[in-house]
Amino acid sequence: MNKILLVIRREYMTRVRKPSFWILTIVVPILLGALYAIPVYIAMKPVEKSVVLVADESGMFGGLDRNDTLRADSRFVSSDNIAYRYAATFDYACRTMDSDDGVDAILYIRKRASDAIPTDACLYYRSDLPSQQVRYDVDRQLQRILRNRLLQAHGISDDEYALITNTRINLRTEDMETGREAFLEVKSGLGIVLAMLIYLVIFMFGAQVMRGVVEEKSSRIIEVIVCSVKPFQLMMGKVVGIAMVGFTQFLLWVVLTGVAVVGIQAVNSDLFGVAAQKHEITELATKGYDATLQMQQADQMAGLPQVVEGIASIDFGVVVPVFLFFFVFGYLLYATLFAAAGAMSDNDTDTQLFSLPLTIPLLITLLLMPAMINSPSGVLSQVLSLIPFTSPVAMMLRVPFGVPTWQVALSIVLIVVTIPLCTWLSAYIYRRSILRYNLLAKLHLGRKEGRKTGR
Amino acid sequence: MASQPLRLCGGKNIKQFKMFLVAQHIEKSYGTYKALDDVCLEVREGSIFGLLGPNGAGKTTLIRIINRISRADKGEILLENRQMTDRDVQQIGYLPEERGLYRKMKVGEQAVYLAQLKGLARRDAERRLMEWFDKFEIGGWWNRRVEELSKGMQQKIQFIVTVLHEPRLLIFDEPFSGFDPLNATLLKNEILQLKEKGATVIFSTHNMASVEELCDDIALINRSKVVLGGSVDEIRRSYSRNIYQVEIEGSPEGLQLPSWCRQIEACDGHSLKLSLGEGKRSNDLLGVLLPQCNILSFSEVLPSMNDIFIANVKKGGDDE
Repeated sequence: MNKILLVIRREYMTRVRKPSFWILTIVVPILLGALYAIPVYIAMKPVEKSVVLVADESGMFGGLDRNDTLRADSRFVSSDNIAYRYAATFDYACRTMDSDDGVDAILYIRKRASDAIPTDACLYYRSDLPSQQVRYDVDRQLQRILRNRLLQAHGISDDEYALITNTRINLRTEDMETGREAFLEVKSGLGIVLAMLIYLVIFMFGAQVMRGVVEEKSSRIIEVIVCSVKPFQLMMGKVVGIAMVGFTQFLLWVVLTGVAVVGIQAVNSDLFGVAAQKHEITELATKGYDATLQMQQADQMAGLPQVVEGIASIDFGVVVPVFLFFFVFGYLLYATLFAAAGAMSDNDTDTQLFSLPLTIPLLITLLLMPAMINSPSGVLSQVLSLIPFTSPVAMMLRVPFGVPTWQVALSIVLIVVTIPLCTWLSAYIYRRSILRYNLLAKLHLGRKEGRKTGR
Repeated sequence: MASQPLRLCGGKNIKQFKMFLVAQHIEKSYGTYKALDDVCLEVREGSIFGLLGPNGAGKTTLIRIINRISRADKGEILLENRQMTDRDVQQIGYLPEERGLYRKMKVGEQAVYLAQLKGLARRDAERRLMEWFDKFEIGGWWNRRVEELSKGMQQKIQFIVTVLHEPRLLIFDEPFSGFDPLNATLLKNEILQLKEKGATVIFSTHNMASVEELCDDIALINRSKVVLGGSVDEIRRSYSRNIYQVEIEGSPEGLQLPSWCRQIEACDGHSLKLSLGEGKRSNDLLGVLLPQCNILSFSEVLPSMNDIFIANVKKGGDDE
């Protein structure tokens, strides 16, 4: 017993002391922090103001309005980042762009026959492509002005329009017994994240077990070790030691990512505060955006509470324990099998071959994920979440949607029963192959000889 | 069990010594291949026992069974007249033929780990290691990684790790393979010192010169069976071909030799090698020589272990 602790200690200490462990431990939270911070930074970065000259021949978009008498909803509105300036003619606009470096693009709206509504416009640029933001804003304003013109032409008031566009039936999916809404998108999102996490953990740390075994074999230290430790102790020590390395890393990731996110927020509180977002909306509103635009913005903001509500609807009292269980037992199930695959290999090329049977069930589950998301309680989902080799990934996909207790229990029982069987099988293979080299060549030879005698 | 008479296959029983390790009728098969077939051995306490045999004869298989790394299909290993248990492995120091170290680990840390696996307390292990490192003059390597070390250096560390826990039984599988002459001599001396301190040593080797030099007893395994066993002296004597080397004063030119005495090598200065006929003994030869010349030295020429090895292995091959 004492010896297994020694093995665990060595496996743990040698790995935790490796520079690669710390690099990975530090890089992942930095990446996650960056993933969180960069889009906000980019959005908030005061960009150079773009200047767009509008050459509107049709007059539909405010081009013939010399005295700025038109309402904001019938002409282009400048914002912090984009300034719209009207040019009387396209030629004049071209000349202006030639002489003035500050002009980034010309929006040219061609006139069609008398009163006809223009069907196309062109954004001309020279050498520097206008930013995505500029193109998006130009398009949005074009559609907005056009729509407002049409509303006016047909005598529809803003209120009427708002009524038409904002009145909608809200379709919900609700559990009849609990009366709670399903929030399918949020749940499938969470399911995919959890399932992928388990898949990665099994692969990453399973592969580490396998490499550790191959290292002992190829360095020829294995025979020295197995004369003082039983192969089973060595194998289990390795599996447990690496599991603890995994937990340490996971824990450090959670803590460091938390620190990174909080740190980013603290340093740039003005960028990340909710107050800032609210301020932005009111500012936009006062700048003369019309009611519908405001409503669109409000709509986007309304999506957020829905996600929050969706998350709140998930029963984390079930999800968290089930996740932790399958996290640990999924690893245990596969780790010993990976150890056996490593024991049969002499080098990394062999491991790919011998671990193939182990990767197939996981890969199949991964490929069937869309089908399972489509029907989390379907037969396929039920079967895959019961088979021990697929259940760690499949169950995580299902569990945010709520799984009948008996199915979770059965799945847990099945995996708990399978682990000793697999461990026994792995220990048997491990013990028998660990001191043998060139197993692949021997298997190949055996088949050839079998064929010869067969004839 | 203890009172059961023990027989050494193909050799004589040596009664005056206590038996330390006895292998009884060991059989082991891998699939249809029989690696060991009714193998019996007796290793005297405090002796050096040579396990000889060509490649693939089953030496390593037997050693692994003694180490309890693999199990015999049949037969048993007795240690001091009782059945060996897993606990007894602590008393064994084993240097395998296929040996290595964790390449990425530091030397000292690794040696301590291996010693701890053998049941030594950390502090104890460190103290003893320091002594050994000083003795082998590699103290400065404690904090170096194994991969930075030369092969000879690694072998020294492997040897230290094998003997550190002061085992009563030492098993060396091909210890001299890959050792340079300097390290081989060092190893030889260490083995002899260990014997002096009372350890029993089993080693397998191809190096017949080292067998004559070190071994008290041997067993020759060929094709999964023990084909020859016993003390080295007795075996060599039993293979005696009745050849004597004589050194005389003056030239051997004018010597009158009887018909049953044949000179087998051209005389070299003062000495000559003589092969005696069936039934003739050294005294008969001396009787002939004494009146003719002054004898400076007279000795029997015993066949080398190398010759005996080759003769036996060839014989085994011819049986097929």
